[in-house]
Amino acid sequence: MPWRLLKYGLKKTHDEPRFFPAAKPLKSGYDVVIIGGGGHGMACAYYLAKEHGITNVAVLEQGYIGGGNTGRNTTIVRSNYLTPEGVRFYDTSLKLFEDLSDDFDLNIFYSTRGHFTLAHTDSALRTMRWRAEVNKRHGIDSEVVDREFIAREVPYMDLDCAGHSAVQGALYHAPGAVARHDAVAWGYARGAYNRGVEIHQKTRVTEIRTQGDQVVGVQTDRGFISCNRVISMVAGSTPRITEMVGLRTPIEIFPLQACVSEPVKPFMDTIVVSGSLHVYVSQSSRGEMVMGASVDPSVLHSTRSSFDFVEGLTDKMLDLFPFMSRMKVMRQWAGMSDITPDFAPIMGKTPIKGFYLDGGWGTWGFKATPVSGKTMAWTIAHDKTHELIEPFRLSRFADFDLVGEKGAASVGH
Amino acid sequence: MTSRLDPQPLEWLDRNETYRFTFEGQAYTGFRGDSVTSALLACGQTLLGRSFKYHRPRGALTLANHDVNALMQSADATNIRADVTPLQAGLDLRACNVNGTLVNDRDRFIERLSAFLPVGFYYKTFHKPKRFFPFWERKIREKAGLGSIDTRWTARRQAKSYGFCDLLVIGAGASGMQAALTAADAGLDVVLVDENPRIGGSLDYQLANDADAAPVRERLKTGVEGHANIRVLPSHYAAGWYTDHYVPLSGPTGIIKMRAGAVISATGVMEQPSVFRFNDLPGVMMASGAQRLIARHAIRPGKRAVVLSANGEGYRAALDLLQAGIDVAAVVDLEQGAERGHWASQLAAARIPVIEGHAIYEAQGKGRLERVIVAPFDGHRCNPATAREIPCDLLLMSVGWAPASQLLYQAGARLAYDDTLQQLLPQQLPAGIFACGRLNGAFSLEQRLADGQRAAKDACAHLRGESLQPDLAACRDTRAHSHPWPIIEHPRGKNFIDFDEDLQLKDLVNAAKEGFDNIELIKRFSTIGMGPSQGKHSNMNGIRVLASVIGRSIDETGSTTARPMFHPVPVSDLAGRRFRPERLSALHDRHLGLGAQMMEAGAWLRPEYYGMPDQREPSILREVQAVRTALGLIDVSTLGKIEVMGPDAAKLLDGSYTMRMSTIRTGMTRYALMVDDSGVIVDDGIVGRVAEDRFYVTATTSHSEATYRTLSRHIVEWGLDVRLVNRTGVLAAMNLAGPHARQLLAPLTDIDLAEDAFPYLGMREGQLCGIPVRLIRVGFVGELGYEIHLPVDAAATLWDRLMSAGAEFGIRPFGVEAQRVLRLEKGHIIVGQDTDGLTNPFEAAMAWAVPLKSKPYFVGRPSLALLKARCSRKLIGFRLPKGYSGERPKECHLIIENGEMAGRITSIAYSPSLGQLIGLAMVDLPLAEASLSLSVCVDSGDLIQIEPCALPFYDAEGKRQTADLTEVA
Amino acid sequence: MKLFDCPVIGKRPISEFDYCGEVRRPPLDADETAWADFVFNRNGAPQVLREWWYHRPTGRWYIMERDTLKDEVQRFIDPQEVRYDIPA
Repeated sequence: MPWRLLKYGLKKTHDEPRFFPAAKPLKSGYDVVIIGGGGHGMACAYYLAKEHGITNVAVLEQGYIGGGNTGRNTTIVRSNYLTPEGVRFYDTSLKLFEDLSDDFDLNIFYSTRGHFTLAHTDSALRTMRWRAEVNKRHGIDSEVVDREFIAREVPYMDLDCAGHSAVQGALYHAPGAVARHDAVAWGYARGAYNRGVEIHQKTRVTEIRTQGDQVVGVQTDRGFISCNRVISMVAGSTPRITEMVGLRTPIEIFPLQACVSEPVKPFMDTIVVSGSLHVYVSQSSRGEMVMGASVDPSVLHSTRSSFDFVEGLTDKMLDLFPFMSRMKVMRQWAGMSDITPDFAPIMGKTPIKGFYLDGGWGTWGFKATPVSGKTMAWTIAHDKTHELIEPFRLSRFADFDLVGEKGAASVGH
Repeated sequence: MTSRLDPQPLEWLDRNETYRFTFEGQAYTGFRGDSVTSALLACGQTLLGRSFKYHRPRGALTLANHDVNALMQSADATNIRADVTPLQAGLDLRACNVNGTLVNDRDRFIERLSAFLPVGFYYKTFHKPKRFFPFWERKIREKAGLGSIDTRWTARRQAKSYGFCDLLVIGAGASGMQAALTAADAGLDVVLVDENPRIGGSLDYQLANDADAAPVRERLKTGVEGHANIRVLPSHYAAGWYTDHYVPLSGPTGIIKMRAGAVISATGVMEQPSVFRFNDLPGVMMASGAQRLIARHAIRPGKRAVVLSANGEGYRAALDLLQAGIDVAAVVDLEQGAERGHWASQLAAARIPVIEGHAIYEAQGKGRLERVIVAPFDGHRCNPATAREIPCDLLLMSVGWAPASQLLYQAGARLAYDDTLQQLLPQQLPAGIFACGRLNGAFSLEQRLADGQRAAKDACAHLRGESLQPDLAACRDTRAHSHPWPIIEHPRGKNFIDFDEDLQLKDLVNAAKEGFDNIELIKRFSTIGMGPSQGKHSNMNGIRVLASVIGRSIDETGSTTARPMFHPVPVSDLAGRRFRPERLSALHDRHLGLGAQMMEAGAWLRPEYYGMPDQREPSILREVQAVRTALGLIDVSTLGKIEVMGPDAAKLLDGSYTMRMSTIRTGMTRYALMVDDSGVIVDDGIVGRVAEDRFYVTATTSHSEATYRTLSRHIVEWGLDVRLVNRTGVLAAMNLAGPHARQLLAPLTDIDLAEDAFPYLGMREGQLCGIPVRLIRVGFVGELGYEIHLPVDAAATLWDRLMSAGAEFGIRPFGVEAQRVLRLEKGHIIVGQDTDGLTNPFEAAMAWAVPLKSKPYFVGRPSLALLKARCSRKLIGFRLPKGYSGERPKECHLIIENGEMAGRITSIAYSPSLGQLIGLAMVDLPLAEASLSLSVCVDSGDLIQIEPCALPFYDAEGKRQTADLTEVA
Repeated sequence: MKLFDCPVIGKRPISEFDYCGEVRRPPLDADETAWADFVFNRNGAPQVLREWWYHRPTGRWYIMERDTLKDEVQRFIDPQEVRYDIPA
């Protein structure tokens, strides 16, 4: 048993330091204000402090730390994207993830599981090959595998899908992983707090003030903060924030739902995604099956759950895993996703001086947490968009120069 | 050893029917009407399960579907909740989550390590060094989870049904039944649902022996069961509330999806435990749990009891124990001198000692309760210095209630803490949602009945469309039934807040002190409320603890969101019947008869090729050759087929497609390419002009519905006078292609097939084999070809006639694969294969289909005008040398230039007509237009050379599409 | 499940509809910037939006003004209100 547990056991008192600061008043100004206390915002604060020595920073969170999509996603980390820019970006993120526990001295339960994206049609299989070829070019462990391989790795899956849309093959991504999503936000938050960053929960931004085209401050429900550099790192509220500075973006908000089963003894170590059936599943270290599907079909700014979601999900899931019919769904929930037309994020500087944007994270924001924080911190520190995120600039839409991720449009968690 | 009581007046048992079952390998018997738990208790088996983390012994707690420490599994089910699962003959059950047997669980040692496992310990350990984490994770995963599953279990699917009602009343206790009656009397169509197999709610256990309740029970039960306007649904629980009062009711025969006009939640309250050391020992249970055991199952839950109380209900429970012949050693009241009502007076008359101002400091016993330590309590803490010991084998906790408010929260209700009742109560309810009964703070029977009536009247008014200001507080009690702090510290801990997760008081306090001092954060860090009971008996105490640590009120502290499901719902029932609609062409049987291998194309099944799977390649080659040299017939019924009629028909098509359609002459067709606003190709097909104001449009199989939708929307937004008819399902289509096509058709039709009478791209209507048909001269596969559109019911007849008449020409049916080769030889793209989600027509080498100069507008035109000058890639043809025998490139292999990706192959096939591999590739500019040779990286990693070439590969002048066999032979 | 109380066809569940986004009018004489704005940018903040909803079983289009925060339909729009002419 690790010796640190010994320490806890032998001490009479529990004198662990705080992860996060107790609530305190806002200062009148900061060098940088980060809107959004989720994984991205906390990571940005952390890297600003750690790598750029910028610590006069306030993270403003309208709810609680990690309470948005950081705490609502299904925790999958992978880098088997279709475009070179996507692959480079997400692979950087994955490599950062691998060292985060060490970096934080906090176990984020980063667990490499292997990630199958099933192909049920020949056209899906073609897309898998496309992704595999691009991945291999960039040194990513990713390959198209046949039914025999899948049957060996996931022997309890019905590859014939009960006789309709049989699995023909899959894209297998061995580094695909899961992590404790909350712990990622907490680790970044603690690291930022320990370096002097202020974290203000239950603090809602109501207005961003500009003079000319320069940001000069942020109005919150707890008072005004003067500040020349503001970054929006929210999810589901990006259009509300960009509207404050008069910035138009393609982002629309669609709910994304998920559910978990009652816990059962772990039997499934891999992550399985089916684009055709629009479902994905992994088993958490508590033993719950964590399941999700694609975003809801219409715009909605709400985290309400729908019954059709859980009906559709379970119906499809039984095609792959018939035995799951005897398990029970315990809880469902929803998050709000920023959806962009090319399924790629919007990052970097904007036409408003001092206003930076990190949004459009759709359904894939969690896996980008470390790299987003790191590149956005660099961008703020240098007032220059980091080269890794240059392809994700807002102006790509005005230039008709979209990111090609849409080429392989499918559910892809 | 039996703990069975004499028959109880309201018991659920059928004592004439005895069931045998086994638990942990040991045989037991019980009665019909028992739950698994009650049957085991009747036989003296009080150890029912082990706790999740420490594997501590646990027994019965609530008997209300919250006993998640008494989970069992069998050969064909898991996580069975013994407290509410009806006993059945032959059940063979084992405890969940034990290592070895329930009695000798080898994981009991974990409890001894508990001091080393503080809250969130796993976040702070196991990660250094990194390489050891997989080892530790494996160990942790071995201990995780509850019941086991068997991956060989087959799929169960339980059909769902729909229900409709004016008013759904959830909970058939006193207030719910009264609400249902009042509403039904007012003429509403009412559904009354209750999760228990019998209605009555707490009337039947808490008030089972209360004389005042008897006539009320009789009136309500008879009333609702006999009422023409009330449907009573026992054994169903409302799984969740969803938008517009859509409430799935989960029951033993599946889910009823109930759509209600309004909903009354009469879901009652959930009894909450007192937190003290070893409050989890078997023998410690909720007072209401013991009352359920006695009244429903005639179980004597113990021999000598102590009742811990902070309300009148505890005294009622003590009376019930006495009536069941159980010694009541004492009632311990948390408060001094509190008014506890007439039950307390009755108890006093029975000379049962009441120890006021005391709490249970500690429960003791080896594996089950043997004694309690009672100590003075000042409302905040105990003073153990003057503690006394009371031997007992049963301790009932009656210290407070939490509202079963899950559905209210899901509907968007706001609850607020009421200092009088020391309970969360509804403060603001959304439209159409009502609450009554103990959930709403109405505790006495009179209050509950009045509150049920009030809620029903409010619901009636709402359904009549009247605006109302409900007085939620009208019938509320003025006395607390919950203690604000039933929580007793102990230096040695094991005072459990959450039984699901084995969380102790100090775990929550420490989590809050570490900065997780927000209700949601503390939940996520400590996992309180995340177990299978979803916090039903832990959240309220958790909020009390957090509020106390941070020095805030309950309302300021807040509560976590209650999400569906109310109780976990079987996946079999959620999934329901499997429905995978499959569309079959009218010629499906013909294809099967001819040995076709079918493939899925969207919802359709289409022949991939005809022949045995081991003859795939040669079969496809033969089909291609038949089309090129003789005659082929392919079923293309899956194409979208839309009639466009009206004065503005041409205008609609001009605006919707890139090319001009208004200039098509009657009887002619034109290629139709559809792009979206951003200029991306979304569909292609043909448009044919039937008459001045009438067109016939085809669309690709997968996009036909969307194309119909798009056209119909343009009609609305452009204000056009056009009507559309989607005839995809009522028309079949087949393409007869090959040099003998005209020869075959000519004698069978009244249409003049002469080249000048019916030229390439022409469209004619007439009779073919006596069947009304529309013929279109198409060129997709690059031979003389006629696409024949006809009513589905005549399709098989025509197919047979053509196949038999074509025999002399060597006709062959051909499938999708052969068609892919044939069109590739002609350089025709397949939308979705040669294009991706961002491809525009310039990139697809189809600039000829984008008449920017001559058309001022069509959807996507402004984008294409911008994109024309800034394409970065282009679709090109390529070939490999004849006789190439190296590794074959595949679709989506990458083009590599100077070590960098420069494109990909989108289509590749062996062309029997050319005797070499040919294909299409999307290649970056300027490479696409500048290079004489490109490198492709194949599976082995080798780079092989391909040669760009002009399109089409075959019959560049297009002579074969327009000529007779005699002219090209 | 959400219900839409539609003219002509009455209350129907949302699952019978295809959501087809905000009702927008292409700026036909736009410059490049304005055109790109039309093609890609959206009014993404919570507000009352005019939206296209297609009822699959009847093949009928409905234009509704819906509050995307509360998910409430405020009114149905006469198609005449959204029509525009396209250059021939």
